[in-house]
Amino acid sequence: MTDNTSHPPILKLRNIKRRFQLGETTIDALNNISLDIHAGEFLAVWGPSGSGKSTLMNIIGLIDAPTEGEVHFEEQDTRVLDDDALTEFRSKKLGFVFQNFNLVPVLSALENVMLPLQIQGVDEHEARERASTALADVGLEKFKDSRPDKLSGGQRQRVAIARALVVDPKLVIADEPTANLDSENSRMVVELMREMNRARKVTFVFTTHDQRLLDHVDRKILLRDGNIVSDEVMA
Amino acid sequence: MKNMIRLALRGMMRNRRRSLMTLLAIAFGFSAIALFAGYTHNVYDGLSRQSIHGEMLGHLTLSKRGMRKEGRLDPERYLLTATEVAAITKLLQDEQHVEMVAPRLALSGLVSNGRASTIFIAEGIEPEAVVKLRSGSLTEAEKKSGRFDNMWMRLDAERPEVVSLAEGLVELLHLKEGEQAQVLVNTLSGQANAADITLGKGFNTGNAGSNDKFAFVSLVLARTLLDAEGRADRLTILLDDKNQTEAMRDRLLARLGAAGFDVEIMTWQELSDFYNQVHGMFDMIFGFIFSIVLTVVVMSVANSMGMTVIERTREIGTLRAIGLKRSGVVRLFTMESMLLTLIGCAAGLLITLLVRWGVNAADISYIPPNSAGRVPLLIDLDIMRTLFTFLLMGVVGTLAAWMPARRAAQKDIIDALGHV
Repeated sequence: MTDNTSHPPILKLRNIKRRFQLGETTIDALNNISLDIHAGEFLAVWGPSGSGKSTLMNIIGLIDAPTEGEVHFEEQDTRVLDDDALTEFRSKKLGFVFQNFNLVPVLSALENVMLPLQIQGVDEHEARERASTALADVGLEKFKDSRPDKLSGGQRQRVAIARALVVDPKLVIADEPTANLDSENSRMVVELMREMNRARKVTFVFTTHDQRLLDHVDRKILLRDGNIVSDEVMA
Repeated sequence: MKNMIRLALRGMMRNRRRSLMTLLAIAFGFSAIALFAGYTHNVYDGLSRQSIHGEMLGHLTLSKRGMRKEGRLDPERYLLTATEVAAITKLLQDEQHVEMVAPRLALSGLVSNGRASTIFIAEGIEPEAVVKLRSGSLTEAEKKSGRFDNMWMRLDAERPEVVSLAEGLVELLHLKEGEQAQVLVNTLSGQANAADITLGKGFNTGNAGSNDKFAFVSLVLARTLLDAEGRADRLTILLDDKNQTEAMRDRLLARLGAAGFDVEIMTWQELSDFYNQVHGMFDMIFGFIFSIVLTVVVMSVANSMGMTVIERTREIGTLRAIGLKRSGVVRLFTMESMLLTLIGCAAGLLITLLVRWGVNAADISYIPPNSAGRVPLLIDLDIMRTLFTFLLMGVVGTLAAWMPARRAAQKDIIDALGHV
């Protein structure tokens, strides 16, 4: 395991509270969470269902805002950013891997990977080159013209990882990336993420229930009822 | 942008049946508008030719100011004098777009076959002017069809006593071409004046109401009958370009006013009530059809895009998460809608061309209201209105997607990602 805590934090959460209103009931999904995520970390957030894992990931991924507290990404206070600025921020600094892969079904694997670059305005030629490299990095260069419905679950998740990595993000957020995969594909996906983390020094934060995945991480944070119960840096 | 178009195109293909139904609604709606526009264009063109050349209104009609309102009660006062006719004609003939100036003299009275008499209304005109005015009344195809041969009437410059009566009048009097009849009119001073006439070739006025009353006589005979040597109640002006009508009216009025003539000039459109009535009616029907079709198109596109947005909510969430701005989401779906509408309009244009070709080749004819004869059913390609429809439907079809697209863009990313 690697100790990355000596690196400066790329993300700082301070006193994060997230409250949801469901009818007349108020649910405190996160209670006063403070957390630093350092560059190069391979970090897992785990805990039982309803512990607030996904809520925390949404806040880290800047697709949700806390009810209270501060989120600083590379010293940038994200509270001052409007929706367009936040979107641009996500586009350049963050990569997402979803439990259900969330690939665009009408685009080929290559076009799916090109998509974040083209949203950024990268020209088609360059986007194609970079997406091809990213697909090769996840071992899917032969499947670049295949649409998602022609790929297995593991292959789809690898395309999703390539799509997350193609923009050279500071941080990749993966919400239950192996939840829909069999054990063999889960293992391959975890190993792939770990390899990318080591080779490219990309920071990974993901949620999981999978104990096997937890064995590979540098640091694991246990959440329960919206509170951090433990924050372990693996030896 | 290229990727956006690709994504929009492939998005369209996602639910092929729904896209096809929307596309067909747009295509048939577009072709309905374009075909009706083409039909009315042909009718307007036919009616304008009928007015200018068939009814021999020319492009402009010049008369003494007040002639139209007061001239019937006091014709002597409002007729142009021989000097005025000559001077004005000379002035007009110097003008660039003026092709011909024809003095006209209207008269009415009784026509008799020796056994029975009936009223007639006649136009006195020079035989050469008739030939020139009528030369533009039919298209080449109409001339070739022979269907309109009986519309042609001729006066004889050498024999001013030859009169051309409308077919209904000829039938009423049981006369044949070449036979003699008598006419009786009042001169300008109120004296009765009769003359023998020879029946020339009959003609069809094209209007059931006038086909048993109307006659053309040579200007010489009209002037003799009215005792109005050299005079005219109006001058018919034929231009070389219909589009110059308004401009030439203004120009001629200015010139004539400067020369001291107190005259008024009416355009053929102002004089042709029938043209204006038909134009008004067809414009209203066109507006009605256009509104219905546009409503159907807007509802089809909005419904189709609304369904698409719901189905692709999770995809929208993903795109927003990886960096697509709200405006990008709106652009994506409006682009898809625009492509759908434009492809639909292009298909509609193709249908229009095919149907137009079929109808024009089928040689269909019909009798329009108030008409004495059959007219061909022809469809033109009204380029301006077709282009306008294309653009408007494109814009409206695009805007129809704006509401659902905006709703999608406003959706919370987390809710969108969690959408099942």
